[in-house]
Formats: sequence, C-alpha cells, structure tokens
Amino acid sequence: MARSHTFLACFVTAFFLTGAGTGAAYHTQFVATNCNTAAPTPTPYITRSGSATVALRARYEGYQWAGGCWNNNDRDDSPNDPTSDPATGGEGGDCSGFTFKVWRESLTESDASFQQWGMLRNVHGPYTASRFKSGHGAPNITASKSALLKMDALASESHIGMIYAPNADGTDQIIEAKGEAYGTNIWTRTYRGSSSYGGVRRTGWSS
Amino acid sequence: MDGRRNAFGGRLVVSLGVLTGALAGAATFLVADSAVATRAAEPSSVIVEATHVPPLLTVDGERSDLSYDAYCIDSEAEAPEDSCDLVGSVFIRSGSTGPFSKLPLRSDGTAGRLVASVPEEITTPRKGFTYYAEIAAATGQAAVTLPSGGAWAPHQSLPLGAAIAIDLGRHAFGSSSRADERVAEVGWGDGSNDVGLEEGRNLTPIGASAFDVDPSGVVVVLDQAHRRVLRWRNGSQNPTRVPLAIAGTIADMALASDGSLYVLEFASRSGRTPLVRRFDSHGRELESTETAERTASQIRQGPLGPVILQQPSGQWMPAASAGSPIPPEVQRRRGRSGRPIRGGEEIVVLRLNNEIRVALVGPAGVRRSWRIASETALAEVQLAEPLGHDVVLVARVYTDDADEFVALVLGAEGLIRRISLDSADWAESAPLGRFRLVRGSLYQLGSTPAGAYVDRFDLEVR
Repeated sequence: MARSHTFLACFVTAFFLTGAGTGAAYHTQFVATNCNTAAPTPTPYITRSGSATVALRARYEGYQWAGGCWNNNDRDDSPNDPTSDPATGGEGGDCSGFTFKVWRESLTESDASFQQWGMLRNVHGPYTASRFKSGHGAPNITASKSALLKMDALASESHIGMIYAPNADGTDQIIEAKGEAYGTNIWTRTYRGSSSYGGVRRTGWSS
Repeated sequence: MDGRRNAFGGRLVVSLGVLTGALAGAATFLVADSAVATRAAEPSSVIVEATHVPPLLTVDGERSDLSYDAYCIDSEAEAPEDSCDLVGSVFIRSGSTGPFSKLPLRSDGTAGRLVASVPEEITTPRKGFTYYAEIAAATGQAAVTLPSGGAWAPHQSLPLGAAIAIDLGRHAFGSSSRADERVAEVGWGDGSNDVGLEEGRNLTPIGASAFDVDPSGVVVVLDQAHRRVLRWRNGSQNPTRVPLAIAGTIADMALASDGSLYVLEFASRSGRTPLVRRFDSHGRELESTETAERTASQIRQGPLGPVILQQPSGQWMPAASAGSPIPPEVQRRRGRSGRPIRGGEEIVVLRLNNEIRVALVGPAGVRRSWRIASETALAEVQLAEPLGHDVVLVARVYTDDADEFVALVLGAEGLIRRISLDSADWAESAPLGRFRLVRGSLYQLGSTPAGAYVDRFDLEVR
C-alpha cells in the first residue's frame, strides 16, 4: 500500500514537472517548429493593394519582438510571451519587422528592389521603428504626414504602423504589430496628428 | 536481507514512478504540441475585405463618386498581386426610403479600387441619398457587404445646405489656454493612488486609457493597466478605486445615467471583434457583448444607451438598450452615419482634407451645418457635442513637427469661441478618449512623463 502511494506520488510529480518544463519551453517553439530561412522571391513591381493583402494575412496573428514569422490561422500561436525576453521565438513580427515584410524590402539597405518574403520566413530586416522614421535605407523616405496614402507609414522613435484606410472623422485605420498583449491587427489610431510620429514612405509603388 | 530487499524495492518503485511519470508528461505535451502545429498549418479560406469613406455631407455642385478599396485575401495565392479578382455593385436610392437601384462597381485603374459615380437623378436637394455595396470574389468564394447592415442600415449622404462658413486661418502654435481647474491628477506607478502604465518593447507608453465625467462633476479615469477605475468626487485629492474584470489593454469608457459604466476593449484576438463590458458602480460585471464590426474607435452615451463608432462602416451602432446588451447582428441593422443626440437628432461629422463639415440632422434633413476651413492641416475630430443651441467641436491641428487641439464653439452666427489646447498626449490613450463636455465645461485627459491628469476648461458660453 505504501509502495503504491510512493509510486503514485513520484508519477504525479514527474508528470507535472516534465509537462510543465516542456510547456514552459513552448513559447520558444513556434519559430523552431514552423518557420524557415527560405530566400525571398524578387518581384518586378509592387502595388499598395498587394502589400495591404500581405498585411491582412498577418491580421489576428501574434507579436514577437525582433520577430518576423507568422502563419495565417487567425490566432496567436504563442500568446503571453514575456515581453522582457526577446528570445522566446514566438509567432509574429514586431512593428518594424512587420513593416519590412509588408513593404517587401531587401536585407541590404542599399537595395530598393522588391522582395516577396513568405509568411513563415523568419526575418526581421535591418530597420527599427526609429530608423524607419528617419528614412534610413534606399527604399524608404520621410514624407509629409498630410500627404500620406494607403500603406504609407507613421513612425515614432519606438513604433511604426501602416495606414490601412482613412476614416471620415480624420482618424486612420492603422495595421500594425502593436505588442504582445495586442498582436497584429487593424485599429483606429490618431498617430497622424501626433507630433511623436513622422511620415514614412516606401518608394517604388506601381499603384 | 529483508531490509536490503525492502530498500531496493523502494528505490525501484521511486524510479519507476519518476520514469513513467516523466514519459507520460512528455508524451502529453508532445501530443498537445503536435495538435497546435496541426492547427497552425490549417489553410485559411478566401476572405474579402473593403474600406470606404462615405461622402456623409456634400455641398452644392460637388460630385459624389463612391470609391472602395477592396482586397481578396487568398492564402493559396503565391504573390499578393495575383490574388483573386473582385466584382461588386452599389445599391442606391434617393433619400432614405423606397427601392434601391443597382450600379455596377468598376475599376478606376488603381489596383484594388472599385468606383461608381452617383447619377444626378439620385441626389436630392434635401434628403441626399442612401446606399450600400456588395463586393465579392469573382469565384464566388467570399463576399462582403459595406456597411455590414446592408439595406437595413445603408450609408447616408446628406446635402449640407446653407452651411455657416468658418475660416480658422493658420494656427498659431504655442498659445494654448490654461485650464480653469485641474480636477484630477495622479502619478505613474503601481501604488494604490497611482495610475498604471503599459510599457514594452516597441510600445509607446499607454496609460489612463480613457475617462468620463458625470453630470455632478465626478471624474472617473480608466486605469486599464491596473484593471480598475479611479474616481474623484468633487474636490477630493485622492481617488477611490474600483476594480474591474477587464483585459488590461487600451479601452474607451462611458458612464451611464444609472451609475453603471461601459468599457469598450479594442484589442480582439483570434478573429473576434472588440468587447463591450458593463459594470455596476461597485465594479461588478453585469453583462457584455461583442461589437458588430472588426474595429471600434469610441463609445459614447446616447439618449437611449451607449453607442459605438465601428469600422469599416464608420457607423454608430447601439451597444445596449435599457441596460440589456444588443447582439452584433442587431447592432449592424441599427447603424447610423450620425451619433444620436437629444431631441431625436443626430450629429454628423466629416473631415475632408483641411475642412471639417458638421451638421445637426433631424427627421427632415440637415437643420444646421458648419464648414470649418483651416490653413493648418487638420487631423482627427476628438469631440462634437451640442451645447444648448450651439455645438462644441474639438479637433487636432498639426504640422510635421507640432500639434495642438482647437476647441470651437459653433453658433448660428458663426464662431462664438475658440481656444487652443496643448495636445498633452505623452502617453497613448483610447484614440478618441481625450475630451468630454459636461454642462459647458470641457474636460481634457492629459499626460506627461510624471503622470496623468484631467483639466477643466469653462467655455463661458450662455
């Protein structure tokens, strides 16, 4: 009787410790399990509408600081990653990685060509929000905020989001990778008028 | 010997227990993990999405072209430019009753854009026209109706009529008004009298997400990071705290006349729409409902209950009636272009480049309207509220380096009063949650690196 209790206690303890340990490591598994390092496909042109479609595929997916890999199942597959740990390997881009992939840019800053990255390609690109804001990189320029169009961006020193659509009241619908608690989605924002934000444009759109 | 055998047997039991438990634990996780991976690989279907800025208020001689940006998201398409083709129609009629006529939408040559011109015979001098669009993948796999209420709640375009013209000229930055009183002030922190700040990598600090003021002057600030509201009674230095079961992300709020409060949580996950929760004055959750559309930008208390501005329709939809939540399918059938105000009227706002159009609309059409022009760029309209026979409007003016708010009192003869307000938006809040008007006093939620506050500006209007 005592031995069966001992066995049961050991079984239960080991079961939960092993499961919990493996489960705790789960948040580092999305990139390792799902993502790839495939080369991008060069494309001869890009349209604002096409890039909006790229962005819409990421809607409802997760957010990962320094990340850039997501699927298209309308769910954050690695929710509640600790924001203090950038190496959790969770699903989603961060704001600048998301913009880089949606704008279909090259890893080489001097290269303004168009590169189609797969959703599951884990790539962030060379730009932070701050560097986008100042127009770093051959494809990127600063632009007057009042002249911004669909899929241009508004960037602060710490964040960047792309204009998905204007609203009748002067706000904008912004598509952005907002943060771990928010994921990637479309929200109404007032970035355009805020002096913390500047206008940024990817050059070379066909239409 | 028996002792050694017992000791050996004990170690064996422990070892077996640990080994089988560990194997079972790992196997359980791997099965669960493979299920996650399987779900992650599920293909998505074709989705159609569209946006449109309705010509809510038009002036004489203005051509009304209806333009839609539409997207077909096909997860099977390798290149986004090769996604499925879209077709669509607009259903339109003069005024707001009678049958709709069908107009085909055509491409204007811009990728993803569909347009239709409104025939002159459709527009009427008093009642304008109403319309909705249906846009579908050419394959028939998916479709969208905009606004989502379709024929039940179409978009409405109204002629402004004899609008009162106001020219703001070039805005002089740096001359913002001083508040008449700071009615609430609180520092950032995690103490009982502090307000919380969401911070994170790539995250602009977010705090004191929204506020409201009741008719007696009680100020309530939504401290979303701490999942509570802070309540200042008149003259009190320290707030009382009321915990709320909310998600802790950016949200807007509105106080109801019965003392309950509504919280609109914008963040939605896993394909769901934003959530509206109602709490009593003690913080007990009473009920909740989801919004009809994917995005919401503000919640306000209307004459019959809370109303929410939703996108992509850009319509105001009721969230509750007599305290009972209204389900999404009913919300979308009751969508309106204007926000309901007292007396059975609505207030309609349209910002068009450097012009803002405002109209008070009754059953017979536009009763009074204003056209406000500005040399300085205009961003969002934060507030448009009737005040007696006048209207108070707060909008943001901006350049690429500066921004402020202007508060305007619009009267029958033109501009009655104008003040400038510091944008005071160090921390992010609900996009349209920064101002409230209560009995001739304009309240502003502001923030600095030190904390958040609510200022009162007396508009000194009759």
